[in-house]
Amino acid sequence: MRLKTAPAKNLYKYIISYFVLWILLFEFILPSNNILPKPSVVLLSFSALWHYYKLLFNFTVTISAVYLSILLAYFLTSLLSGYIVRKNHFVSEFLLSLHWFSHFIPAIVFGLFLIYWLPGSAYIEYLFAFFIALFSLVIRVNEEAAKVKHEYISSAVSLGVGESVIAKKVIWKSIQPAIIKYLIVLQFNIWSVLIAFEFIKGGYGLGRIYRLALDYNDLSALFTISIIVGITIYLGTQLIKYFKNKFYHWSLD
Amino acid sequence: MNREILLEVKNISKTVHGLAGSKVRILDKVNLKIEKPERLGQIISIIAASASELTALLKIISAIEKPSEGEVHLSGKQYHKPAGDIVFIPEHPSSFPWLNVKQNVEFAINFKENIPGSIDNKVSEAITFVGLEGYETHFPDDNSLGFRFRISLARALVADPKIILLDEPLKNLHGETKKEIFTLIAELSKKINVTIIIASMNISDAVLLSDKIFLMTRHPGKIADTIDIDRSNDLNIHSDYFHSLKSEIEKLLTGYENIPLK
Repeated sequence: MRLKTAPAKNLYKYIISYFVLWILLFEFILPSNNILPKPSVVLLSFSALWHYYKLLFNFTVTISAVYLSILLAYFLTSLLSGYIVRKNHFVSEFLLSLHWFSHFIPAIVFGLFLIYWLPGSAYIEYLFAFFIALFSLVIRVNEEAAKVKHEYISSAVSLGVGESVIAKKVIWKSIQPAIIKYLIVLQFNIWSVLIAFEFIKGGYGLGRIYRLALDYNDLSALFTISIIVGITIYLGTQLIKYFKNKFYHWSLD
Repeated sequence: MNREILLEVKNISKTVHGLAGSKVRILDKVNLKIEKPERLGQIISIIAASASELTALLKIISAIEKPSEGEVHLSGKQYHKPAGDIVFIPEHPSSFPWLNVKQNVEFAINFKENIPGSIDNKVSEAITFVGLEGYETHFPDDNSLGFRFRISLARALVADPKIILLDEPLKNLHGETKKEIFTLIAELSKKINVTIIIASMNISDAVLLSDKIFLMTRHPGKIADTIDIDRSNDLNIHSDYFHSLKSEIEKLLTGYENIPLK
């Protein structure tokens, strides 16, 4: 029996089939419905999204919050990696003690507190996305560091290399491909919580457009924004995969 | 005339946590003395039936792990903190896949202060010695176990250690690669002033390579016998001397199995 562990071989064929089915069903067979919008209306809704929903501005706010926060969190994690991966170091203990709370309090609740503390701030969602990215990365780094081959560490220790150098130059380097791969999951998680955050807070961002679309009962805007978010996450995933294969080619074998 | 003692392992014991909170003694009062070599280098083997106990002993000798009891002395001084004088090469590949051959070798001295002489010269000498000249920019991930062992060996050599510990260096190698690495280890002791200690479960390899063999019991590990090999004698897999040594060691190791387990 063959185990189906690989992605569907004919994935793109399925996607094209769904697209054709959508056109056939919702353009010709069921033009008036409350399930999905007509394809022709979706095309027309771009203009409304652009002018009335301020798509470009709101999209820029959300996309910059997602990817700037990931970049900054990765940079900071890399900078602190020498401390984060070391057991019993106060930096790693402090960060992991905060991690304990994340088991019981959903990230969006932390967002609600931020909205309460800083109601008028324009940068609040950047702060929110950054904290989520940073804590997710720190937790992941700790989990991956536990999997590093002890041969790498033993041989470096016996050469007389210091603990901080081993943390930075052996453990961190060893787990970098896994961390880069994790960014794919992380970007998806941040997109999810950030849209919810913007939806609750109002103000700017794609979450704000979702809220307006629901208020106006605008199914086509809801659908089009979802397509845009999906395509952006897909492109983000491809970019991360490219960087991983190009610059972080090694594995923990 | 007695030669100066290079390495002395004094009453080393190691207890580890076993299943369900039990404690297991894997090494029990291990004692061994290794003298400074008569000629340039020397090869010493430790043979046992348990790989984990051999690895534990090597890690304690190199100060990677602390013993539960006992001390390790190098040239008369206690060696309790890794300083690059005793370098441990694990059984599984330890060359870093994110660094190329040259960067892997440089790693051993890049973070050290007061390195005498040119680092570049030391690195290229070590690379040439292990036969990797021309492969400086290759990455270990793309290559065989033998290739990765050579990198680890070059990295150890560049640190200029007194002792190199090899944990079952030939175990996972086969055919031509095994022959090449075997020859490389033998050459090393003839050309470089270093003592090589090999932990092995393979009696033939140990007899053919070593100047001296320590035999260790298992569960717990304890040095039970020492066998000196006369390298001036005819020693190859067809010689009588080889076969007599091999059967003697086999007999002794089988005898240890009758030692009651502690």
